[in-house]
Amino acid sequence: MAVLRRAFPWLCLAALLPVCNGVWADEASKERAGVILREVDDLWRGESSHAVISMMIKTRHYTRKMKMEGWSKGKDSSLVVILTPLREKGTASLKSGSSVYSYLPRTDRTVRLTAGMMMSSWMGSHFTNDDLVKESRLSDDYEADITFEGKREGVDVIEFTLTPKPDAAVVWGEIVYLVRSDHLPLRALYFDEDMKLIRTMTFSKPEIMDDRLFPTVLRVTPQDKPDEFTELVYEKIKFNIGLDDAFFSIARLKRR
Amino acid sequence: MKILPFALRGLSRNTTRSIVTTGAMAFAGTIMIFYLSLLEGFTETFERNTVGMNTGNIQIHAKGYRDDPDLYNRIQNAGQIIKKLEAMGFAASPRLYGYGLAASGKASSGINLRGMNLEKEPTVTQLYKHILKGAWLDKADKHGVVIGGKLARTLGVGVGDELIIISQAADGSMANDLYIARGILKSVGEIIDRAGFFMTDDAFREVMVMPQGAHEIAVSTRNMRIELKTAVKMVSQTAQGYETLSWRKLLPVVARLIDNAKAGTIITLLIIYSAIGMVVLNAMLMSVFERIREFGVMKAIGVSPLQIIAVVFAEALLQASIASVIAFTAGLALSLHFQTYGIDLSTWTGSAVESSIGGVALDPVWYTHVTFDTVTMPLEFLLLIVGIAVIYPGVKAAVIQPVKAIHHQ
Repeated sequence: MAVLRRAFPWLCLAALLPVCNGVWADEASKERAGVILREVDDLWRGESSHAVISMMIKTRHYTRKMKMEGWSKGKDSSLVVILTPLREKGTASLKSGSSVYSYLPRTDRTVRLTAGMMMSSWMGSHFTNDDLVKESRLSDDYEADITFEGKREGVDVIEFTLTPKPDAAVVWGEIVYLVRSDHLPLRALYFDEDMKLIRTMTFSKPEIMDDRLFPTVLRVTPQDKPDEFTELVYEKIKFNIGLDDAFFSIARLKRR
Repeated sequence: MKILPFALRGLSRNTTRSIVTTGAMAFAGTIMIFYLSLLEGFTETFERNTVGMNTGNIQIHAKGYRDDPDLYNRIQNAGQIIKKLEAMGFAASPRLYGYGLAASGKASSGINLRGMNLEKEPTVTQLYKHILKGAWLDKADKHGVVIGGKLARTLGVGVGDELIIISQAADGSMANDLYIARGILKSVGEIIDRAGFFMTDDAFREVMVMPQGAHEIAVSTRNMRIELKTAVKMVSQTAQGYETLSWRKLLPVVARLIDNAKAGTIITLLIIYSAIGMVVLNAMLMSVFERIREFGVMKAIGVSPLQIIAVVFAEALLQASIASVIAFTAGLALSLHFQTYGIDLSTWTGSAVESSIGGVALDPVWYTHVTFDTVTMPLEFLLLIVGIAVIYPGVKAAVIQPVKAIHHQ
């Protein structure tokens, strides 16, 4: 009896071990997912970046091609200026914090987009103005959890599911992100609050650009219009180019 | 027996009571004529502001457009449809709609872009007359726009100020241009007041890169004396493959509001006249009881109960007739006066830019509208109620037994 009494605390501990193990494993998986997500977040950005991107938009009503130059600094500042077509040359979108400004060379004016405009299309593409603001903060707004790890179609992949943090002001109900084992993004599925698939983003043609391996083609396809897409092709990108904050000011927007 | 002299003698027995009873009837009649004219004025203005200011009697849209106002979901052969409708006697105007953002200085607001056909629109709606400040659109001034009152306030713009718009053009490009506010509208309805941004159809097509089609055709039956249902049938046969709806279907809440106002009129008439009925009943009962011995004597010398009822009825109807003449004269004069000058309610309803019910703008000056019904209906009701109220005193006088009546104290 005495032996049993002495062994009791150890027995309890042993019984609890699998539970704790599960919790620790879960925590570890979440942390790892968070690390990968931050890595993915930083892939396009670095501390700062400068890129030349061409964009092709295909919808039921039009197909258009654009070339643009973009700069970014950290998570909150980015600037995109249209190079072609001529009609829109010089049109610029500046993201500063949570605001988006448009510089319109035709009228030589800068306009701050209102909350109501955030869900409308950016430059006629399948991206919304809101994407410009929110996309760069996946790791800020979502909890990441690894939901699959292994081989899929002969490739080692990690799939993680992003769910919005309780107080995050985001439009997506869930994002399922698929990356290669070397953390190179392959695909992202965006679901609304009712868990209905809304759009698919695919990442392809990885190439070494500047200092990193990088998917140079990004294509977004809306689920309800499978024949439509917007494709971004990174023609040039340089990272960590040392931009100052004033570069992303409204005053500079006009002078560019 | 001559009924009329007896009735007149009955009335002159107590002139004060007869005058008060007749006066009460005349007062109620006058008030009701005025009230009905006022209500008619309200519903007429409401209907006119709904139909004549923006909606038109009938509208044509591409199927599904109303649920999802897509820039690309257009009536492609709008010109042909309008020509056919005009040949039938309708007036019709094509409209173009888009959504975007307008900015002035640091202020910006979501807008409802509207491209108007300046030749045809005035044949359908009176919007061009509804300007608070500045002027309506002009074909020669392609960059001149007219905006809603609340939008002007949100953006802090006045006539002559600059406005920039941003939208997505039909070719996917960013539609943007600089415009000058040429006019600010009076209150029309919530959507137009808050977001209405009117430009010429040419300017709209240019900025939105939309050379063809229209999003809406507004049709007016103003020049035709036909029922709305018949008109809808005719228009929908002409615009086959598209959705044709009357304003009553487009604005069911407003239609119901107007219908309810009409039903409410009859209820109000009944309530007011029940009170008058009580006054008449009371007065006639008093009159009958005062003369109960007289009726007894009349019956004793051979006057029939029907003749006695006729006397009581004649007394009541004489009073009602005199009251009707007074009510007709006073009510009509009062209503006609306010039909011309109106009642200014701006102290209660706020400024001309703000007052609206159910999204439909209301002029703060309330005008009566005199029709045949607004004058005759209260008088018909008056005679009917008096007729009902006098049944009991009449029967009471007619069935009285001469012996009991003669001994009545």
